[in-house]
Amino acid sequence: MQKVIERILNLLAYLLTAEHPVTADEIRNTVAGYDRDNDSAFHRSFERDKDLLRRLGIPIEREATDVFEVEFGYVVHDDHYALHDPDLTDEERAALSLAVQAVGFGGRPSGQEALMKLGGIVGSLEGTQLGADLGERADTVAEAFRAVSERRMLTFVYRGGSRTIRPYGIVHRRGHWYLVGSGGDDDEARVYRLDRASDLVSGDRPGAFLPPVELDPANEVLHHPWDAGDGADIATVVFDEEVAWIAERELGSRATITRREDGSIEAKMEVAAPEAFLGWLVGFEDQAELIAPQNLRRRFVSYVEAG
Amino acid sequence: MTNSPKTTGRINRLLAMLPWVIGNPGVSVDEVCDRFDYKRSDLIRDLNTVFVCGLPGYGPGDLMDASIDDDEIIVEMADYFARPLRLTAPQALGVLASGKAVQSAGSGGDALDRAIVKLERTLLPEGAESVVVDIPEPRLVGELRDAAIEGSVMEIDHTSIASGEARIRDIEPWAVFTTLGNWYVSAFCRSADAERVFRIDRIRSATPTGSRFTPNPTPHEATIRYTPGDDDVHVTIRLTGDARWVAEYYPVDVVDDGSDSMTIRMSVGDAAVAARLMIRLGENAEIVEGSEAAIATADLRSRILERYS
Repeated sequence: MQKVIERILNLLAYLLTAEHPVTADEIRNTVAGYDRDNDSAFHRSFERDKDLLRRLGIPIEREATDVFEVEFGYVVHDDHYALHDPDLTDEERAALSLAVQAVGFGGRPSGQEALMKLGGIVGSLEGTQLGADLGERADTVAEAFRAVSERRMLTFVYRGGSRTIRPYGIVHRRGHWYLVGSGGDDDEARVYRLDRASDLVSGDRPGAFLPPVELDPANEVLHHPWDAGDGADIATVVFDEEVAWIAERELGSRATITRREDGSIEAKMEVAAPEAFLGWLVGFEDQAELIAPQNLRRRFVSYVEAG
Repeated sequence: MTNSPKTTGRINRLLAMLPWVIGNPGVSVDEVCDRFDYKRSDLIRDLNTVFVCGLPGYGPGDLMDASIDDDEIIVEMADYFARPLRLTAPQALGVLASGKAVQSAGSGGDALDRAIVKLERTLLPEGAESVVVDIPEPRLVGELRDAAIEGSVMEIDHTSIASGEARIRDIEPWAVFTTLGNWYVSAFCRSADAERVFRIDRIRSATPTGSRFTPNPTPHEATIRYTPGDDDVHVTIRLTGDARWVAEYYPVDVVDDGSDSMTIRMSVGDAAVAARLMIRLGENAEIVEGSEAAIATADLRSRILERYS
């Protein structure tokens, strides 16, 4: 491993100081540590080293060595290599270190490598205890993040079909990651659940689009499943004392609550997607009653009778 | 063939450490060890590696210079490694989303807020907030977390999701965590004399009993998992139309996946869970096998309709 590390440092030092694309042959004959006699041995190690450096975030690009485009070589562009340093203070690094310690992706902490690049971990990471988990599919979310942060088009498979969209943002809410973006000619935003998306590929061109000015990804992702849809009915539901506190917590500030003498509550809330709403209401069994509007009440009764 | 993750990790750390040391000449060995999670011997080994690397020619004027003098580290002739590397997408997402999660839960502070603003400014395009993490902390999370740290036994009023039954329990809280949108407390339940995980939004109240317990110094695995039990209710359901989502959402065995219907088998801790699911699915689901679940479904249906009659 020692030799490999030396060779990789030498390669990177060479690429960072060469002011033009350098060919594989130049690298082979110049950089210490490569096999000059055996073709396949050289190519094997060179490919591995490039892969490793790219995984670390070093953009090794392949470009023509001159305008005639006969020969191609490798180059690392300065502005793609270096961190846009956010200039964190140690106090800010310490706050991020604590956060990284508390939050994981799929049961593993995430972000320690980033902290190193940002100037190190401040404070101890001993006794790590994960308090929050942001889901299993860190790779999928990271690819969506890349497309969002660099404004690249994003292609993926969703419900059996291929989609290509302009990705505007990613939102973690109610335990899932959602992707907000629009495809086609209109700017209407659509929401996709990232755990149901696969084969994400970002487009080649950064800065490929501008998001609609008015759009705020946070507003596109629903707080409750029954928020979806156009136009809303106001539903009134009575929750019995035993479950009133549960209903209140789940509804949050989005419902108007009136407390009644027997400890039950009357809640008024907007319902745009009745089916999701009625399904939620079943969870309260016979300890809740949908009072109004009448048509929704009748619909609930026939829903329960069905099957 | 690829290089080992160990090599990758070592180079990542080396390329993070170098800019810091170059930018802070004379920094102490201890500080670099703390900051970059090095053991002293590993740091010295990495500096020795730096010492034999550099630019073609590889003579005294071409190699980097790395030395420790009186416990102070000096790296020179390495200007090309003076700038920290940009973050990869997984790295950037990891640090930004972690920060935002803690901020959203309300347990951050001014320094975290400032750090997030700085990260967003360098990592994301201008405009509306494009990475949002929303995990509001419900009531009682703070109290239960404090109780876990202090070793304070808590009396909780908890309503079971499965059976709907409310019970008062004494618990020794171990850890508070959130996953898949819900917050949980793992605990030793004195009332059940067993380890339990409770959903915090189903805890109506929590009060210290005044008794103490000795917190376990090694943190417990903060996960929820379904553990099959002897009392489980088994049910086989035929799904049609829109109801197929059930197979994606719950842990089930798919018995048959036909073009117009799908048959699944699932096990639940309480028949009430199956009953609520059946009512929700309406005419798109039918119980093929499982009398206990069928009885519970019929009972739930008649109780709800009774209320609406």
